[in-house]
Amino acid sequence: MEILSQVFTISLIAATLRTTAPILLVALGGAFTTKAGIFNIGLEGQMLMGAFFGVLGSMWTGSALGGLFFGVTAAVLMALTFSFFVVTLRANEVVVGLALNIMAGGLTISLTKAIFGVRGSIVNPSIVGMPRIQVPFIHDIRPLGQILSGYTPLVYVAFAMVFVVWLILFRTRLGLYIRVTGEKPEAAQSLGIRTARMQHIASIICGVLAGVAGVHLSLGYIVMFAENMSSGRGFMAVAVLIFSGGDPLKVLLGCLLFGFADAASLRLQTMGVSSYLVLMVPFVVSLSALFLLSWRQRPRIIRETLDKLTAPVVAKGRGS
Amino acid sequence: MTDTTAAPSERRVPVWAEGLIGQMLALLIALTGGAVIIMLVGESPLHVYTVLLRGAFGSTENIAGSLLQATPIIVCGVAACVALRGGLFNIGVEGQLYVGGFAAAWVGFTLNLPAGLHVIVALAAGMAAGALWIALPAIMRARFNANEVVSTILMNYVAVLLTSYLTIAVFKRPGGWSETEPIAETAYLPQLLDGSRVNVGLIIGLALALGLYLFLRFTGAGYAVSAMGSNPKFAAYGGVRVKRNILLVLLSSGAIGGMAGGIETLGVHRRFMEGFAPGFGFDGVIAALLANGNPIGVVFAALFFGALRKGSLLMEVETGASREIITVIQALIILCVSAQILIRHRGGISGEKRWKF
Repeated sequence: MEILSQVFTISLIAATLRTTAPILLVALGGAFTTKAGIFNIGLEGQMLMGAFFGVLGSMWTGSALGGLFFGVTAAVLMALTFSFFVVTLRANEVVVGLALNIMAGGLTISLTKAIFGVRGSIVNPSIVGMPRIQVPFIHDIRPLGQILSGYTPLVYVAFAMVFVVWLILFRTRLGLYIRVTGEKPEAAQSLGIRTARMQHIASIICGVLAGVAGVHLSLGYIVMFAENMSSGRGFMAVAVLIFSGGDPLKVLLGCLLFGFADAASLRLQTMGVSSYLVLMVPFVVSLSALFLLSWRQRPRIIRETLDKLTAPVVAKGRGS
Repeated sequence: MTDTTAAPSERRVPVWAEGLIGQMLALLIALTGGAVIIMLVGESPLHVYTVLLRGAFGSTENIAGSLLQATPIIVCGVAACVALRGGLFNIGVEGQLYVGGFAAAWVGFTLNLPAGLHVIVALAAGMAAGALWIALPAIMRARFNANEVVSTILMNYVAVLLTSYLTIAVFKRPGGWSETEPIAETAYLPQLLDGSRVNVGLIIGLALALGLYLFLRFTGAGYAVSAMGSNPKFAAYGGVRVKRNILLVLLSSGAIGGMAGGIETLGVHRRFMEGFAPGFGFDGVIAALLANGNPIGVVFAALFFGALRKGSLLMEVETGASREIITVIQALIILCVSAQILIRHRGGISGEKRWKF
């Protein structure tokens, strides 16, 4: 019990929000491709490119915003390549996604060596990280300030995006077209919606958010780039997307679960649990969630109640 | 796969030749793309490729080294191939390789058995561990249709971390650095050549590939697997027990992946080391994709990738390009192959987008 009370503290809540942000951003990006009917396994690679070019851009321009620009651009280029192969050439999503992930890994390592002459990681004082925002007034109120203030801007962006993405998907024409493209492509085409264009657009938006997630990794709390630093978060996001179906609120819940697992396991590490076991926790959690929820999909009643519980708002928007 | 896509009689080139031409073209495009990347990192493509070739084939030792690198890729490629032909993706070969390698090494350094038997038991342990590692994703896929792509990928991360944990926290050799005790001599996988670590694993890999080819080509069960791979609904209609077959296909794929790990620890390292075989599992998956699921093609693809790997070691020393350039080239190859395969078999817009043969 004493361990539990040590683990569950206010700073744990703050840490949860912090670790949720990158996976939430990338998963929300994936929500667009999921809704457009593309199984996007390439999130990991887009995120990694975002992280790498975020660092490069930050060094070139001398500002974190410049880093954000370069990181997002690189990720969008990956996303465009993905959708070119998957949508235009009708290649298999898994194969293309896998290839692009492998390419991102190889390319970032090769470029690291070519530009910096080192293997492994880029640590450099000229990399400008994201500033922390101290929300006025709230920052000084004790428990509230600890939870709501002092994050990098992208953490706020991530949580705001849940609403924005919901708004785009369920309250705009673009969102409607994207969803119809994913659910009933024939119907969409007979209505004159250009499904291929919708899928390209969804993939580009996905690239933007995946890029932001990557930049958050390399310029957020840790200001450096390391080999394969996305370390499976893109795949965890895909797991979230599978059992959430890309609905922003369910995506948020799933990502909070991982953020919590991540933050709590880091706590365990400070208590002397082997780091290997600790790093395993988020993966085990995502696997369990994936398996449990696919098992739950069997009885329809359970699935429907789960839907009602988690997404009353989303259900309304689905009426189209 | 040539027989399932019955060629129209007016076709002038046989299907396999058309496939081969396509693969060669993909290779050419990828090597050109690789050249662009090499220029991007500030090296001369010609120089880098020459060094790569010299590293892979420059001397007898280098050729042996290429074969050594190709061995686990062949076995992993066959593992991925089994799943691919059944219409499934086992991207978790890497994880199965790790747990299989650890299990085999554990039998190697813990048990005391007579010479021949020890190797067999150790390899069997590797296979069992590999099958066990894919068991949960396989059951969930067969029974509840849980996506096996993501679950096997996530299992990779757990496998690498778990084996590292076991190696460092539980079985670490006193005074050693992230490695277990060496295995007993009775568990050594026999070597084929003096002065090189090329071992019986190569023969096992070739035998597995041939066995899979014959199984798919000449047996009813093999036909059922291929039928399931090309169209599960039709196969079910024709009496194939799809759920049971999905389970069996994934379990055998996992077992072969585990064996690849066993071959690597028993034949090459003779202990388990953290990060003992980085990327061989992924290379196997890529080899299976490049070969379009043909087991014989997998062997050639794996030999090519093995040579690339061996060559890249010299490339890293002699040029400024890092050895990961070859993974970029591999990724480009797969992109080209994926594009052109589906140009030939375009489906409808909402058609099932699984890998098809």
